[in-house]
Amino acid sequence: MREIDWFPLWLSLRVALVSTVIVVFAGVALAWLLARQRFFGREALDAIVTLPLVLPPTVLGYYLLVVLGRGGPAGRLFESLTGHQLVFTWQAAVVAASVGALPLVVKTSRAAIASVDCVYEDAARTLGHTEWQVFRRVTLPLASRGIVAAAMLAFARSLGDFGATLMVAGDIPGRTQTASIAIYDAAQSGHDRYAVTLVLILSALAFALMYATNRLSSAGTFNE
Amino acid sequence: MLNVKIRKTFGKQFVEGDSAMRENVEGAKDGFVLDVDFAAAPGVTILFGASGSGKTLTLKSVAGLARPEAGIISVGEEILFDSTRRVSLPIRERRVGYVFQHLALFPHLSALANVEFPLSDLPRRERRERALALLQNFRVEHASGRLPRAISGGEAQRVALARALASDPRMLLLDEPLSALDDAAKLDIIADLKKINRELRLPILYVTHSRDEALMLGERALIYERGRIVAAGEPSVVLGAPVKGSVARLAGVENIFEGRIARKSAETGMMTVELCGETGASCRVEIPLGRHVENERVTIAVRSGDVLLATEKPRGISARNVLAGRIHAIEERGDQTLVRVSSGVLWTASVTKQSVGELGLAAGKEVWIVFKTYSCRILDVD
Repeated sequence: MREIDWFPLWLSLRVALVSTVIVVFAGVALAWLLARQRFFGREALDAIVTLPLVLPPTVLGYYLLVVLGRGGPAGRLFESLTGHQLVFTWQAAVVAASVGALPLVVKTSRAAIASVDCVYEDAARTLGHTEWQVFRRVTLPLASRGIVAAAMLAFARSLGDFGATLMVAGDIPGRTQTASIAIYDAAQSGHDRYAVTLVLILSALAFALMYATNRLSSAGTFNE
Repeated sequence: MLNVKIRKTFGKQFVEGDSAMRENVEGAKDGFVLDVDFAAAPGVTILFGASGSGKTLTLKSVAGLARPEAGIISVGEEILFDSTRRVSLPIRERRVGYVFQHLALFPHLSALANVEFPLSDLPRRERRERALALLQNFRVEHASGRLPRAISGGEAQRVALARALASDPRMLLLDEPLSALDDAAKLDIIADLKKINRELRLPILYVTHSRDEALMLGERALIYERGRIVAAGEPSVVLGAPVKGSVARLAGVENIFEGRIARKSAETGMMTVELCGETGASCRVEIPLGRHVENERVTIAVRSGDVLLATEKPRGISARNVLAGRIHAIEERGDQTLVRVSSGVLWTASVTKQSVGELGLAAGKEVWIVFKTYSCRILDVD
């Protein structure tokens, strides 16, 4: 029996953490736009952002390869900044996890922001606040439970991304092999004990996060 | 001086789609036009009318929360909104102290933090001092650390007023500020408002559909009806002796009857009006002499508070109208009791609970209704 390799688990946690930070910022901004602004193509934007939820992971992965690859815009930008290519790095895994988690954050935060009564925002405006101040001092705190729930969902989702991550980050042990990919490898090659260990740890983490998310959502909000 | 001249049209779809507007125009099924023009001097101007008549929408337009399609809004020399010059000051620069109907105290902030909210440009210490001073002024400093949901309605109301004043407004917009309070708390806040009014002399627009609040506070009242101002003047005049039927109904004049001038006598200074009841029964009342001619159809109004009830026929009394009737029903309306008495037509008298008990008033009992000639007003039919 070989020594248990903890690298995939640490990598997954690191990818999930970075992706959660990115996705919460981007997702809350998008959610505010969708919940509070009226513009042409609003629902189309919502649909595009939600797409990763229903697309096959391979389709998503393929799109990401096109955008992140050496010929793609994001890939070229990354290469000119860092000197090495983006695909098949752990950063590519972050991008894949982020795109997968974004719809969850946008959906959850949009609902949280929409549930904040506009009268509080109007009151803040009459009290001399700019739109940014209104968002930071009124909308955000009143929607905070929903947004924290969204962040936990994002973390849980990022922790377990498989398909898109495999396509853009590959399966390089010690470099891009995340826990979910390591489980696949271990199961294929008959390392059952290793697979079961990672399976149980990921399941326990996911359960704890879902439980906490539900508790948060049902704990009630400031708006009755 | 606050000058407001605005027009805003809502189509049905627009009303449904715009959440900020929906509550204000609930009565408007087939679109709605707000078209008003008034000036408010420093002091309390009452905006009086039924819900859905455009009062709140006027406040929102002044504050910048709703955008009229045409018009001008100015305070003194400064223009807040001018459709022809395409000027519309952002809400935050209008400096209005707005107290929303449900107060809109920030639920995540303590009373003190709510009052500090508009002072965010000041250093922390000065901010705290000013907010505390305002809370003290309104006698709610004991609630400063509590969240809005943990303080009483009257306290919340005063915190909301303190917050509105903290922003150093140049006018106050109060949207039914007393509607959620009991009578004792109401009187407290009315005293506070009178004090604010004496000390600051700001234009205060005060939306209400309570006649009592209008009479207690207002220096001037604007009567709203379906988006228009149909009467304006001193509250005791426009509400006390309403000349319009719609105003009379709003102002709580329960006895409104149609009739015909049966006799006119310059000698006695009175006219006799024959009121037509529903079942062909009739009733004759004496009213003050007016410009109307005999046989002309008129609508007369008598406030229920001006109608007395007697269990025996009163003698030696100056009131010219003494009518025999029978109690039809007794209804409790908050603090007062309304007694419906049929005497050709169905009269309403408002009496105290004590009187009901002492006189043994009950449905079916025979009573006399008594009121003065001068309690009767002729309304303009509209």
